[in-house]
Amino acid sequence: MSYSPEQISIMDSIIARYPRKRSAIMPLLHFVQSISGFVTPEGIEKIAELLELSTAEVTAVSTFYTQYKPEPVGEYHVGICTNTLCAVMGGDAIFDAVSEHLGIANDETTKDGKVSLERIECNAACDYAPVVMVNWEFFDNQTIQSVKDLVDGARTGNPPAPTRGPKTLRTWKENSAVLAGLSDGLAGEGPSAGHASLLGLNLSKEGK
Amino acid sequence: MTPENAVMTDVEMVTVVIDGFDVTVPKGTLVIRAAEKLGIQIPRFCDHPLLSPAGACRQCLVDIEINGRAFPKPQASCTIPVENGMIVKTQLTSEVADKAQKGIMELLLINHPLDCPVCDKGGECPLQNQAMSNGRSESRYEGVKRTFEKPVSISSQVLLDRERCVLCARCTRFSEEIAGDPFITLNERGALQQVGIYEKDPFLSYFSGNTVQICPVGALTGASYRFRSRPFDLVSTPSACEHCASGCSMRTDVRRGKTLRRLAGEDAEVNEEWNCDKGRWAFKYISSKERIAGPMVRGEDGELHEASWPQALARAAAGLKGKRAGVLVGGRSTVEDAYAYAKFARVALNTNDIDFRSRLHSDEEAVFLASRGVNFNVSYRDLDKADHVVLVDFEPEDESPIVFLRLYKQVRKRGLKVTTLSPVLSRGSEKLGAAIVEDIASISGLSEKSVIVVGERAAEVIGQFTSVVKLAQSTKAKVAWIPRRAGEVGAVVAGAIGNLLPGGRPVADPAARVDIASVWGVESLPAAHGKATWEILEAAGDGRLDAVVIGGVDPLDISSEALGQLLGASTFVLSLEISHSAITAIADVVLPVAAVSEKSGSFLNWEGRPRFFEKAIADSLTRSDLRILSMLADEMGTPINLPSSQAAAKELQSIGEWDGAKADAPSVSPATLTAPSGDQAILHSWRQLLDLGTLQNGEPNLAGTARAAHVLISANRAKSLGLSNGDLVKVSTARGSITAPAQIGKISDSAIWVPRNSIGSQCIANLGAASGLVVTVVKA
Repeated sequence: MSYSPEQISIMDSIIARYPRKRSAIMPLLHFVQSISGFVTPEGIEKIAELLELSTAEVTAVSTFYTQYKPEPVGEYHVGICTNTLCAVMGGDAIFDAVSEHLGIANDETTKDGKVSLERIECNAACDYAPVVMVNWEFFDNQTIQSVKDLVDGARTGNPPAPTRGPKTLRTWKENSAVLAGLSDGLAGEGPSAGHASLLGLNLSKEGK
Repeated sequence: MTPENAVMTDVEMVTVVIDGFDVTVPKGTLVIRAAEKLGIQIPRFCDHPLLSPAGACRQCLVDIEINGRAFPKPQASCTIPVENGMIVKTQLTSEVADKAQKGIMELLLINHPLDCPVCDKGGECPLQNQAMSNGRSESRYEGVKRTFEKPVSISSQVLLDRERCVLCARCTRFSEEIAGDPFITLNERGALQQVGIYEKDPFLSYFSGNTVQICPVGALTGASYRFRSRPFDLVSTPSACEHCASGCSMRTDVRRGKTLRRLAGEDAEVNEEWNCDKGRWAFKYISSKERIAGPMVRGEDGELHEASWPQALARAAAGLKGKRAGVLVGGRSTVEDAYAYAKFARVALNTNDIDFRSRLHSDEEAVFLASRGVNFNVSYRDLDKADHVVLVDFEPEDESPIVFLRLYKQVRKRGLKVTTLSPVLSRGSEKLGAAIVEDIASISGLSEKSVIVVGERAAEVIGQFTSVVKLAQSTKAKVAWIPRRAGEVGAVVAGAIGNLLPGGRPVADPAARVDIASVWGVESLPAAHGKATWEILEAAGDGRLDAVVIGGVDPLDISSEALGQLLGASTFVLSLEISHSAITAIADVVLPVAAVSEKSGSFLNWEGRPRFFEKAIADSLTRSDLRILSMLADEMGTPINLPSSQAAAKELQSIGEWDGAKADAPSVSPATLTAPSGDQAILHSWRQLLDLGTLQNGEPNLAGTARAAHVLISANRAKSLGLSNGDLVKVSTARGSITAPAQIGKISDSAIWVPRNSIGSQCIANLGAASGLVVTVVKA
């Protein structure tokens, strides 16, 4: 596939945000994912051309960060934290149960293309452990059942709302566009800091 | 030592203590280098003096304290510059440093296979050596080692065994910083981190072989050497590269009479520690099946037959003695061989009809060379210090790769200004950030610190040398002439051209002739201005010459008619060649000569710097050109007395440089070109570094990385022809045509460019000319 003039002009506008072209590599990789769902060879070649980098240099960046996917992922990419705290709080159990429930292993996608599964590293939300992220939106204090419900909802096109963040869960491609710096206008929607994060602050305000 | 080499006193010096010894070094020196000054070797992998510090392998950890405050942990000595008051303790005096190094070594070896017995690097491997000197004697690791599919071809000539890699990033830093070809990168992360290419774009760098040489483990290997030899079975000889006028120092590794590999040698003034892939890998021509085994004489049946040396020499002498003969030396002779040709022409053949230029050439060029003398007074250091370098009909990456690396280094380091007089912005020029100028009159901003580099292709543009000399005179800029072939500068100095005798003596000057006649012990020397290559060929064709002596010459380098001219008028042809060629096919007598690795001698690089080399293949029985010419001159009764290259070098040295008046600079008016219209365009071409050159024969891995032929056209021309990238274009003249994929690039609308001698694009053979010609360009 080749990129449309509209898509190219969006890429140019992303590049124009930076004093040096090459700085735009990461948002452009997200932009490529917002179109194709993963980092395609065409995307790498286009980014290399636009940023005057070699294709190898673009490959180096896109393979370094696990957020850039070399293969298509699901419309809802489910990341289950299995770092220490989440793991002992139930993350490992959730992963195993959901993996069996969906019949897919780590880094695999369901046949309908709706859901993919990944063991992810810490998302800085240990106070809500075990944490699951779908398309990088937080689902806090999860249980096996809640995540099963989550993925079942996702497969029927009716996923529950994230605990924090926007009121409706956006797709992988839609959120990739946000990461590319293209606002969907939802940044202010829903809570950001939750109860557990603010507990200490509130206690200190109460003078306790 | 030149004054520039001397220690400069205005550099701030810093004194540090390493292992109890004081050492004073310039500020900014890395701890690992300062330790080297004391003879203390800290183990390392990623550190390389010519690459930027990376601190990637962590092997060089040492304990450091400054003014009484110690770093809490051992530090990488390859990334930390010295400071006053610094106390460094290496593995020799610090148990902590020693333990840290041993720990790193153990970590590096966890996933490193124990395949040293089958690894190319085994026996000369920094990892193997330092594992012995700074590691544990026994492994404690009992787990399963990480493995990768092996090997991966990152190009047709470089193979990668990822499990051997210690991720030092030497190869990736070299490619980016030195060659400007960031086609290999560190991909993935964590335990899967690995060197790699983008899957569709192989490692097509002209300098890729250097990564194999600097790899501190056996991760990168050369396809042509892989599994071929053990380093301790090789006999190494310091040598000089025969491929171009850059003048690389090299090392030739031979086992039982056969060259197995060549490496870049170290010469800080010339190639630093690098060379190009042609210099490294194009040496199989020596062992080609086409190699001529013994003398051959054409019989009455019209076929070449093997003959004894006395028979062949007698036949050659009969064909030349007392005849009107010309000499075509070829551009690849050593200085000594060129001198023998020069002396042979004057003494044995009594003529100045000798020319080393086996390519497009002009009288204006010969005048330029004569007016320039033999003390060029321009060097790589002038390029290093230049405020502006102008390239005239010269593409350094293709035509003199080390000149390219030196320029690129300055472009990267300090933004050296480069201007190229060309209608084409080549890939090399793009890397140099060069500005394109199409007219010499619009070049500005030159000073006495500038260098104008003029290539051999200036001979293809009428008036170009004249303009260059004028520009240099008016701006005081220096002029460097950088021909492509390794033998050309030496041939000028040796007098292998019709208007010059050895040492830059003008043939036209009676005093110069007396000079040389007395050294050579002859009554007098011919006074007539000698014919140029094209005139010699023309005279051979129409019977004005009876005989031609031809060294290493490809007639299609000169013109499409050259071969036919040699066939005409029953000219006697004596060919001195390495391998069978178009010339040997028509020669009356063929005498086999030694290749560079089979003889000793020297080249002069473009600076005029001698590049000596010893005989690498010690037991070779082949004879050099000068030995054969000497025997032939004896047979003719006009001896030239040059039994060895040492004798020739000594005699040439004793002649010395001409101190009389030099020839006047050329004065030729530029031709006015008619602007092409419609489908027509002006043809431009040069030889790519890797192409169909004779000396690249027999090395398919190297040929696999040559840039494919394409027709470079401007966006406007593409639009008017309805062409996109990759569509076939036909470039034609009355003689023939070249059809190749279009590449839309930065080139003047009135011009097109094709490679001069690549597969599918041989300008002289296919089009009858190589540049300046009006051609027709249509969609194929």
